[in-house]
Amino acid sequence: MTVSETQFEHEPEQEIILEVENVSVEFDMERGTSRVLDTVSLDVRRGETIGVVGESGSGKSMFASAMLDAVVDPGILSGDLTYYPNEGEPVDVLNLSDEELRRLRWEEISLVFQGAMSSFNPVIKVEDHFVETLEDHGYDVDEGLERAHQLLADLYLDPNRVLDSYPHELSGGMKQRALIALGLLLEPNVLVMDEPTAALDLLMQRSIISLLEDIKEKYDLTLVFITHDLPLVGELCDRLAVMYSFQFVESGPTAEIIDHAKHPYTRALLNATPNMQMPLETMRPIEGASPDPVNVPPGCSYHPRCELADDLCEAQDPARELIGDDHDVACHHWEESADAIPFDRGESR
Amino acid sequence: MSHDSGGTTAETTEVAQDESLFETRSVEKMTRGEYYRELFDTWIAAPLRILRSDYRGIFGFALIGIFILMGTIGVWIVPSPEATGPILQPAFKSMEHPLGTDSVGKDMVSLIVHSTPAMLKMVSAGAIFATSLATIIGVSAGYLGGTVDRAMMTIVDVAMTIPGLPLIIVLAAVIDPTSPYLIGILVTINAWAGSSRTIRSQVLTLRNQSYVEASRAMGLSTFTIMSKDVLPNMMPYIMMGFVGTARRVIFASAGLYFIGVLPFSTLNWGVMMNLARSNGALYSPIAAHWLWAPMMAIVLMSLGLILLAQSFDRVFNPRLRAKHQKSSDADDSEVLS
Amino acid sequence: MLPMGMNRVAKRLIQSAFTLYAVATISFVLIHQLPGGPLAYLRAQMSQTGQNPESINNLANVYLSFRPDEPLYLQYIDYIGGVLQGDLGTSFSVGEPVSRVLGEAIPWTVFIMGTNLVIAFFVGVTLGGFLAYNEGSRFDISVSVGSTFLQSIPYYVLAIIMLMYLAFYNPFFPTGGRYGANVEPGFSIAFLGSAIHHGALPILSHAIPTIGGWAIGMRSNAIQVRGEDYLRVARLRGLRQSRIATRYVTRNAILPLYTSVMIAIGAAMGGSVITETIFSYPGVGYYMFEAIQRQDFPLMMGGFILITFGVVGGLTIADLTYSRLDPRAGGVGE
Repeated sequence: MTVSETQFEHEPEQEIILEVENVSVEFDMERGTSRVLDTVSLDVRRGETIGVVGESGSGKSMFASAMLDAVVDPGILSGDLTYYPNEGEPVDVLNLSDEELRRLRWEEISLVFQGAMSSFNPVIKVEDHFVETLEDHGYDVDEGLERAHQLLADLYLDPNRVLDSYPHELSGGMKQRALIALGLLLEPNVLVMDEPTAALDLLMQRSIISLLEDIKEKYDLTLVFITHDLPLVGELCDRLAVMYSFQFVESGPTAEIIDHAKHPYTRALLNATPNMQMPLETMRPIEGASPDPVNVPPGCSYHPRCELADDLCEAQDPARELIGDDHDVACHHWEESADAIPFDRGESR
Repeated sequence: MSHDSGGTTAETTEVAQDESLFETRSVEKMTRGEYYRELFDTWIAAPLRILRSDYRGIFGFALIGIFILMGTIGVWIVPSPEATGPILQPAFKSMEHPLGTDSVGKDMVSLIVHSTPAMLKMVSAGAIFATSLATIIGVSAGYLGGTVDRAMMTIVDVAMTIPGLPLIIVLAAVIDPTSPYLIGILVTINAWAGSSRTIRSQVLTLRNQSYVEASRAMGLSTFTIMSKDVLPNMMPYIMMGFVGTARRVIFASAGLYFIGVLPFSTLNWGVMMNLARSNGALYSPIAAHWLWAPMMAIVLMSLGLILLAQSFDRVFNPRLRAKHQKSSDADDSEVLS
Repeated sequence: MLPMGMNRVAKRLIQSAFTLYAVATISFVLIHQLPGGPLAYLRAQMSQTGQNPESINNLANVYLSFRPDEPLYLQYIDYIGGVLQGDLGTSFSVGEPVSRVLGEAIPWTVFIMGTNLVIAFFVGVTLGGFLAYNEGSRFDISVSVGSTFLQSIPYYVLAIIMLMYLAFYNPFFPTGGRYGANVEPGFSIAFLGSAIHHGALPILSHAIPTIGGWAIGMRSNAIQVRGEDYLRVARLRGLRQSRIATRYVTRNAILPLYTSVMIAIGAAMGGSVITETIFSYPGVGYYMFEAIQRQDFPLMMGGFILITFGVVGGLTIADLTYSRLDPRAGGVGE
């Protein structure tokens, strides 16, 4: 199966459906080369919900785009991206022809990103968006529209009303859900969602999350959920992968990460998450700022902000190591992190 | 000190997306000297620096500069056209008459040069009039809003719809204007309408900016707000309107003089074309240069104005600026080509 | 409840009516009030030939559609009423009703200006789309620069150049008239061909300088649309390139050009005065010019009113089309 031998290779029980290997994205800018994804690797397993967590600007949106080979121009994507369909040969996504890539998108892998506000063509009706997608992928339009109706209903929308409207006539929440329905229209296997709830109010967020859980079951999806919102993924995801400064720094099962995170950044992040029940003083933001993609610090990219940092950290970029059951970390001092950065949890969440 | 006041040059990459280069946010007290220095820097030095960075600005500025020089100093240097030379000598034949002569022997170059002052007078009168009117109406309507706005905009809309040239013709026929200044103003009789709408929409956006609200909360008079907060940010649009109107004045006046609607009072390029035509320049190639010289003058001056307008637009449009920072390649080659 | 589009069109119609009314009023004021105006002129003419006041007033009524001996407001009402009924007075020089003279001329003006607008728009927009697609290429840069240059050439300068080199010096095209002298008007190929032959230079002289303007505008709109989210989503959805190019990019990029279309309609109709005079092409503009030369005020004012009518008609059509293209439109245009 996989060819490359890396230290942190997990031995998962589930099959892998999407394999990201050593993928990097670079932009050539006037002031230097901007590396917005730095040799990232991740295995997405069939049927799981995996959360990719990180701050704004950590590269997670770029990661989402990379998974569909849809990095904005003039970015340059390098590395390997392999997709394993339900049946047939594994697909080398980055080397597909334009036509094959066009078909892969939305039929096998869909990407729903934030900004549903402007994701629809303002001059055509919502229904036309569905029809277009069906036509251009060679699907039967009538069947497809029936499915669309079902999807919209599943998402608690009135199908007739929504389909007959123009985008500007719908509210933000409705558009977001319509976009999700559109994403599921061709029955993809993988749904990548980039901050799908960021622009919505709390109530709408919760309902969409629970909707996603239902839909995932009903349509047998693999979900990749990208966000900066930790509590959100805590509930929804089976596994978490934490990104910092355009790299993955830790990944593992959700419960494991939440309770026993080993990377100093992850621990600090968990500590920084606001909790209504905790006193104000216990909330601690992380000091410092995330690095500029053109000027990433040498060695471990987190060392300027890390309590445990020493000379080794400054000199050498730690590689990811498998340290437990399905849990990997990229840190020289992961063993000490639990003591150095205690979790401040007065009450349970 | 207020940031960005004139310190921005072509190399700065940090202009924020919504910031206008002319924003002055500081409400500190300054000495008179500092105030005027800042004014100078913002409104004169900075634009010059910015124009220098764009080839369009350079060309535009150079062309306009040439014409301004022609119309002012040139009139002294180049002798007045006199009917002394050979009749209808073609261009590029002799150094004495590089552009040829007309049907009574007047030198083409001196004809062109001595026509320039009239053109400049027309253009400046018209552009200043129209731009001022557009600004006053646009800013008042946009800022004051409500019925004032609606009333003004109805008038503006009607003025915009009335076809310009026929209106000018009809008025000219009855007024029979002779002064270039008056003609300049007449020609812009409804050109101000379109600009006032553009200015108004800008004002509407600005009106909701936080610093304007702050000024209102502080109880500053409407006039103060309009002049200190709103107006400086309108400068880009006002300048562009000015340049655009100038171009329209040239086009319209030259055209009307050419066909003879405007009475022959002072020598200008349109009149030259008219004379050329009545002397048969259309039929016989011999006199073609008589038409070409003023036409080229018109085209070159318009070109200068268009280039200036384009470079203003490019520079003042924050979205375009940000875009240049992101996609360096395509635009750089454009600048350097 | 009116459908969304109606609001805009209704507003346009009201505005058109108001504009026409304003123009007619201006006409009346000018005819009546300003020194050297037609009334004084008429009086002077008549007193020279020694006619009595009564016949002067009658003549004024015929020529100007109001009677000077009536109170001012009645004159005004007469005049406006006349205009509404299509009575624009009688031409001094031609001796025919203005409406007849101009009515026969206006289709030709519409032919020339309409064709040039359509050509310039479609060619320009297609070119602009193409340029946007090849953004940054040498083709793009050279065409953009060329368009800028073309825009500094007034249409009448181009007209003169064309006349000189394509009509007078080298008789490729006729130097005047709407159709050949020997051609019978009618739906024959000969006639249509002749009309096109005669109309070619006037149309092209107007169209060519403006093509560049449309191209540049369309280009920048298309580039902007390309950066929009829904474009990105469209690609992610795996839509066909052809669909994206037409339904997504082109359609959204054209919409903002609408204001320019409005302005172009006004400029074209207004510019007919100069263009038709240069080409000796008897349309409304040509007659208006002739009227000025001959001090024929009714004809001049009639021309003014009719040209405005043409502009207003064109704007209404443009508004109708726009409402159909942009579902967001409908309310008060801003």
